[in-house]
Amino acid sequence: MTTPLILLPSDNVPSDHLPSNTSAPLRLGPGLRLLSEQQSSTPSPGHVINASRAGLLSTDPKRNAVSILSFPNHRYIPTTNDLVIAQVHHSSAEYFHCMVTPQTPHALLAQLAFEGATKKTRPVLKQGDLVYARVLSIGVSAGAEVELTCVNPATGKAEQGGLGPLTGGMVFDVSTGLAARLTRASSSKAEYEDGVAGLVVLDELGTKLEGIGGFEIAVGRNGKVWVDCSNAGDSAIRATVAIGRCLHAVDESNLSPAEQRKLVSRTLREMEV
Amino acid sequence: MNKEAPLSIAERDFILNALREGVRLDGRQPDELRPLNVSFGDEYGHVKVQLGKTSLIVRISSEVTKPRDDRPFDGPFTIAMELTSMGSPAWSDGRQGDLEQYVTHVLDRVIRHSNALDTESLCILKGVSCWSIRADVHVIDYDGNLIDAACIAIMTGLQHFRRPDAVVKDGQVVVYGLDEREPVPLNITHKPLSITFQTFDEGKLVILDANRKEEQASEGDVVIGINNAGDVCFLSKFSGAPVDAIVFVSKSSVALEKVKEINGIIDKALQSDLAKRTEKGLAEESKAENDR
Amino acid sequence: MVGPATASLSPLTRSDGSSSYKCPATGFNILGSVNAPVELPARRDALKPEEATVEVLVKPGTYPAGVGERYVEGILKGMLGKLVLGREKGYPRRGVVITLAVVGSEDVGRGDSYLTMLPALLHASHLALLSAAVPLSMTFTATVLAVTSSGDIIRDPSVKDATAATSLHVLAISSKGHLLLNESQGAFDFDTWERVHQRALTICRGVQPSGSDGNIAMVEDMEGRPLEGFIRETVEDKVYHDYAWKIDAA
Repeated sequence: MTTPLILLPSDNVPSDHLPSNTSAPLRLGPGLRLLSEQQSSTPSPGHVINASRAGLLSTDPKRNAVSILSFPNHRYIPTTNDLVIAQVHHSSAEYFHCMVTPQTPHALLAQLAFEGATKKTRPVLKQGDLVYARVLSIGVSAGAEVELTCVNPATGKAEQGGLGPLTGGMVFDVSTGLAARLTRASSSKAEYEDGVAGLVVLDELGTKLEGIGGFEIAVGRNGKVWVDCSNAGDSAIRATVAIGRCLHAVDESNLSPAEQRKLVSRTLREMEV
Repeated sequence: MNKEAPLSIAERDFILNALREGVRLDGRQPDELRPLNVSFGDEYGHVKVQLGKTSLIVRISSEVTKPRDDRPFDGPFTIAMELTSMGSPAWSDGRQGDLEQYVTHVLDRVIRHSNALDTESLCILKGVSCWSIRADVHVIDYDGNLIDAACIAIMTGLQHFRRPDAVVKDGQVVVYGLDEREPVPLNITHKPLSITFQTFDEGKLVILDANRKEEQASEGDVVIGINNAGDVCFLSKFSGAPVDAIVFVSKSSVALEKVKEINGIIDKALQSDLAKRTEKGLAEESKAENDR
Repeated sequence: MVGPATASLSPLTRSDGSSSYKCPATGFNILGSVNAPVELPARRDALKPEEATVEVLVKPGTYPAGVGERYVEGILKGMLGKLVLGREKGYPRRGVVITLAVVGSEDVGRGDSYLTMLPALLHASHLALLSAAVPLSMTFTATVLAVTSSGDIIRDPSVKDATAATSLHVLAISSKGHLLLNESQGAFDFDTWERVHQRALTICRGVQPSGSDGNIAMVEDMEGRPLEGFIRETVEDKVYHDYAWKIDAA
């Protein structure tokens, strides 16, 4: 592993930090752009990869991707294929108009974009209801509308991960940085000692709360985490609050895996779960 | 769009159901304040107050002006608060929203109309010149309970502030610079603070120092302005669901207890800052001596 | 010199990005916040359809904003608007709202020149933009220089020095050495401006283009740390802090 490379806008990515896989095309993630270099000093291709944000360069050799991890509190920008938790604002004849981030235009979710939905069986969602959805498209022209979906458009089925309306439970706001880490941590099943993306908090909560019925969780890349403990009976509310407090604590301070485990035990004790 | 994004139904229901079990989102008791931190900047009257995740900065400033014709003995005192998008992305710059008007009104009532600052002591020469005092409130992070946090910051600022000394010599007003003469503290008559309660479940559940989500889920609020001696100088129930009269009585005593607690924290912060300043002043004095 | 400036990234929680910047030489203490990309509802017709609109608000510490603030907002808006890559994904037709609060300062009285505060405002907005991950084409640094009646150049003049100076200059220089902003006030000639420009290059970048051969000489002694390095270190500190989980694991 090379030393961490921190870039500022207009810094070029040194070619030795790029994944060396030449068989697949290189994928540029957020914060990077391809510029053509006019100076004669660079070798033949005449292109450089240039940063447009400040942050840590992150490479993924498996996907042959490179991107910049920026500061975790920035605003979520819809990106195709991301999972988000959206809140219904109002509905029109064909669509539910949903809020993905506050103070931005609503995203559209077709009323028939649910598993098995027909004109007669489509879900009736009212203002303030939550849906777990995938970003279908972000439009091509400037300022185009973002469209969401709760089914895989190819199969018409809900995908794994339980897309669709979220009922009951509670939503906690976290930074977009933590939301991205949680997404990675919950999507990979690997049994690492130190968790995925440095997170063990959810695994630890899962183990500790298994006895009272466990909990359901949905992570939206827009910085929202939905938690439901309705199987836990009388302690459902206290367990949910405990999970929320653990998430906020992990978001606010850098906790090592050991500290995260301690945090979970302490919080659960305080909440008498 | 001077409005926070509305809560989802799930959040609203959960907050209410949790309160019914006596549980708050951050694990607090219904009558428990969030952690309060009071700190000071370099200047006199520069205060930063953090109440949980709500934080704001207050700057007190003074200026020599002419008193109003109908009040020749009084110096004007203004509280200026402008909510900018720094405090919350939901606030747009330069446009006044309901919250701004409401909070300004309450602060005016609790601090200004209760005569916490003795405005007659600001008079320098009757009808000719007086000090005008201004409190600028900068909300830098908003997570609920703006009123109480702003009240704490303004009252601390007024106690921390020192104005330049001024005297009347042969009918002329002479103002001394801060380095020429020891600056003068303001004359504070009493220390009122506000305690804001939010009510839920038709007034059956009452909590204080609500955060933003709790405020959004609440049915109504009750504000009590009270000082250490237990004199209630402000009481309001502007809107929302009705509340039993007994709530006002029982919560007044809670408010008194809280105000004493907060004033204690303020006094401690003021004293330690004063000690720091004296130490620094002495150090500089002895340095000046040595230089000579 | 009273010591180097201090700055931090993301000190606030509600806004999408924030910064604090304190310059001990002038006493200016600025808090900056950025919310982006957001909808600017009332002015939809005024928005450029293909890119983002930058809005700037400067809020003085102890008096209501007036003409001076509107003037400096105009300068900031013009310069930062060129830096923001407003055509990147998610940004067209949206607003980048920058709010700057002067929380501590030597008093810039109403009517005094705002130029002395301009570099602090520029640095605070720059750091807040970085904190909010707003796409930028480049980084920059800025400085204010006063030329006294005897021809001396004073760096970061106090309000008193600035009032006494024959001319005041604020220069912002990009990470590539381009002159991004040149606001001057007072009477001066070309030679003076050339000297001011050279001095600003040294302060901001720590380099002096020597002669015509394009060689670059490093100058580090008399100006202390170049400002460019200061901005970079502030960013690096925050990245190391926020990504400790990733960097430590590597």
